[in-house]
Amino acid sequence: MFITCVSDAVYPRVGETMMRLLARYGILLDFPKLQTCCGQPAYNSGYWAEAKAAARTILAAFADSDFVVSPSGSCTYMLHHYEELFKDEPEGREQARQLRHKTFEFTQFLVQVLGITDVGARFPHKITYHPSCHGSRLLGVKDEPMELLRHVKELEFVPLPFAEDCCGFGGTFAVKMPDISGAMVAEKVDHLRETEAEVLVGLDMACLMNIAGHLRYRNEPVRVMHLAELLYEGVVLA
Amino acid sequence: MSAGKNSKRTVQERAGLALNDDFLRKAVRFTTERLRSGKRKAAEEHGNWDEWRERGRQIRLHTIAHLDYYLGLFADQARVNGVHVHFADTAEEAVSLALEIASKHAAATVVKSKSMVTEEIHLNRALESAGIEAVETDLGEYIIQRAGETPSHIIIPAIHKNRYQIADLLSEDAGERLAPETAILAGYVRKKLREKFLAADIGVTGCNFAIAETGSIVLFENEGNARMVTTLPKTQISFMGMERIIPSWSDLEVMATLLPRSATGQKLTVYMSGITGPKRSGDADGPEEMHVIVLDNGRSLQLGDPEFQELLNCIRCGACLNACPVYRHIGGHAYGGTYSGPIGAVLTPALNKNVAEWDDIAGASSLCGACYEACPVKIPLHDMLVSLRRRKVERGYGDARETIGMKAYGSLMSRSKRYHGFLRLGRLGQKLIVRNGGITLKLGPLKGWNRYRVAPGLAAEPFRERYQTLEAELRQGLQELPPEIAERMRKRIGSREKSAGGEEHGGRSPGVAGSSGSTLES
Amino acid sequence: MAEDHREWLDHLDQRSRAKQEEFLGKIASRLRRPRLTQKPRQPYRGAPDFWNSYDGSEDDNLQRFTRNFEEAGGYVIRADSLQEAGRFMTEKALELQAKRILRHDRPALADLGLESSLPEAKVQVWNWNREASEDWKARAAEADIGIIMADYAVAYTGSIAILSGPDKGRSVSLLPAVLFAVIPIASLVTRLGEVLTAFDRTGREGLPAGIHFISGPSRSADIENDLTIGVHGPGIVYAVLVSG
Repeated sequence: MFITCVSDAVYPRVGETMMRLLARYGILLDFPKLQTCCGQPAYNSGYWAEAKAAARTILAAFADSDFVVSPSGSCTYMLHHYEELFKDEPEGREQARQLRHKTFEFTQFLVQVLGITDVGARFPHKITYHPSCHGSRLLGVKDEPMELLRHVKELEFVPLPFAEDCCGFGGTFAVKMPDISGAMVAEKVDHLRETEAEVLVGLDMACLMNIAGHLRYRNEPVRVMHLAELLYEGVVLA
Repeated sequence: MSAGKNSKRTVQERAGLALNDDFLRKAVRFTTERLRSGKRKAAEEHGNWDEWRERGRQIRLHTIAHLDYYLGLFADQARVNGVHVHFADTAEEAVSLALEIASKHAAATVVKSKSMVTEEIHLNRALESAGIEAVETDLGEYIIQRAGETPSHIIIPAIHKNRYQIADLLSEDAGERLAPETAILAGYVRKKLREKFLAADIGVTGCNFAIAETGSIVLFENEGNARMVTTLPKTQISFMGMERIIPSWSDLEVMATLLPRSATGQKLTVYMSGITGPKRSGDADGPEEMHVIVLDNGRSLQLGDPEFQELLNCIRCGACLNACPVYRHIGGHAYGGTYSGPIGAVLTPALNKNVAEWDDIAGASSLCGACYEACPVKIPLHDMLVSLRRRKVERGYGDARETIGMKAYGSLMSRSKRYHGFLRLGRLGQKLIVRNGGITLKLGPLKGWNRYRVAPGLAAEPFRERYQTLEAELRQGLQELPPEIAERMRKRIGSREKSAGGEEHGGRSPGVAGSSGSTLES
Repeated sequence: MAEDHREWLDHLDQRSRAKQEEFLGKIASRLRRPRLTQKPRQPYRGAPDFWNSYDGSEDDNLQRFTRNFEEAGGYVIRADSLQEAGRFMTEKALELQAKRILRHDRPALADLGLESSLPEAKVQVWNWNREASEDWKARAAEADIGIIMADYAVAYTGSIAILSGPDKGRSVSLLPAVLFAVIPIASLVTRLGEVLTAFDRTGREGLPAGIHFISGPSRSADIENDLTIGVHGPGIVYAVLVSG
């Protein structure tokens, strides 16, 4: 389990529901304690030395793993930058290369690796889906979440207008350019309101944290969930 | 490469102005949506879009990797056609050449078709200082020229002006009241510019693509003004960024397929003109004398730089502007340079190399990658933005507070025990500021965040503390791993060991020295 | 042209040749290799292979051309002969009350018979007398209607292609508000690349000063995204497809 710092510190339930879902198939994820953060915040801001410091914990933590599963597309994608970060360290670069091949975002793991598209869930609500930018555009995760949602019984799916538009998080971007970021998340929530969905589901807690924060600011009662949480709740309900 | 009057303000401040300008935001949003959906429809209808993009990318990569050959070929062929070819390292040289040509012809009036490169070198300003009337002839450019402004979008330069503002500007120009209706306003400009086209001494154009093998230049447009400018005046000067070149006419088919669809969703612009030299001796129209000025102005700096050479692939279609959520909210002027949007955010610092001065432009991005997805020649702009940020930090221009924060981050994240200790501390500390599971305090890094949100508090029990109990619980009565699934997992691991490259599971490989290894070599 | 102007141009060219060496040398040195003097192998040239085998039948092409041209705001007329085309144009010219018409100096366009069918209008032929004294550009500016015969037409993009020449001034398809383009159906091809590769085959020597692809009436959406037709170039464009 590559928990990612946001899920670790703020949304541990995402990690928990992932584990519970996988346990139903006899897969018990381990948790190498050495891991801290993938290094993306520092990497994106150009502080690559600091990014490497964090990245080393990830390389060390998963050196012996067969599969690494993470609840975030952007953190998974960040691992693809490790070969670049460690290009001057042959050992690190090799570890990075191997890590890239064995790390999967959660829905990728379920659908591509395990071949599971129907977890046997029932979730009688109106939901809409926000495809996080790094996961969908850069990691290529587009069909997997839709496949999983398609098999959830009694779920009413409403497409989010302009779904592929960035929610405005961008890591330090939200802190450094708060007004532009604020305008972007406001627009995202406007589109969300158009769907009249009860639940917003996504694959990346960073984005969801951003959107949920603005929803709360506007006193909107939409529930924000990671797909793992939704699926697990749906399994319990079934 | 002047910093321009905008450098006094930061991107943040300029963006703030834009965010508060309701009309601008609506106009930008409407236009970018129209163009974006146009592009999407056109690309879908055409089909195999990604293959065409890859083709476009390969042709451009190849040309740039052999730029000395193709530019040399172009210059030699163009000269045989009768073109006077010039090379300018800097904006000043290019401008000075143009002024020399204009003065030799005792030119009083110059008519110009839309050209970003002439904006880049501030040609109009120089012509005006020399007492020469420089008239923009593209409708949008004419309008902003009357307003004394710069374009805010590569393709639709006057997107930030509404019809009433335009009517006011043109009425002043006309010396009579013009109704704020498109047909009337456009009709006025048509008539006014007719006179200019017919009387002008010199026609100035840019160059969408130069064709190396025949020494030709190709212009794409919808209005007809570039055709006017290359048909009526006796002298023509075409400015060409040194990278705006392809080998052959058959390569032009690929560009003609990608560019109009990416820019506006058209199958082809209304006019696509290939100019091969000045008029022939029997021709009764066309320029008698033709010059092409090939401009460097910082472009050659990108050559040999694995992180930025691909920037020269750009065909100036504007698709990245239409895709960018940041651009959509702040418009073009907030970027503070000639080029705006994602391409501008990289091009301006790259061409100007004064990283410190143009620092915050690269920061005006959430790195969502929409620009890369939209780019018809697959330029990894989102990666280049990170490279710019890194270079700024490496050169010591990093923001002091951010640097301190990042150092703390690095130290914290390098040891999981330290990180865990920090989480424990945070949990304690936040008891003071968390209310109902949320934080509304606007202090420090939360100042901007909580202007628009309620921040979440740290969880009472982080995952790493919860794990042990959870694992123990799940271990009891753990299901058996179904054999099919076990088999799939085994196969995966097996194929990993076999092939050196391992498996790829979607998405693109990140870019450094070219994502597919072919940036410099093709 | 004046002696010293010629001298100045020669001087500029000399300067530029020297500068060229420097300029190109800088490129090579930044790319960390010596100057390239031989044509490099171009593994990807032109459109993808699958595209080059795409060929429409004549009917497909006619339909596609028509659809695209009309979508762009142009008009498409079918005629069985030049005479029929001429009759159509006469009708239109009368309707538009055109006083001055300017056409390219091509025998086929003479066969349209407009000189006789429109006695009230002044029908002129571009550069017919090859007289340097006549200001043909001004004639084009005065004309209400311009008439050309296309060299090619492309179905996939809905375009007309015209190559310039002494008898085929560029101004004729540009300045008048109305344009009639006569297109022999035999010159209609499917893909843009078919015309472009022809230019590669003829090479530099075979190219005229101006090659123009026209895909509808002049347009702009620069004012509040509101589409307007006929900004600088012709606003009314007829593609007259003639068989036989």
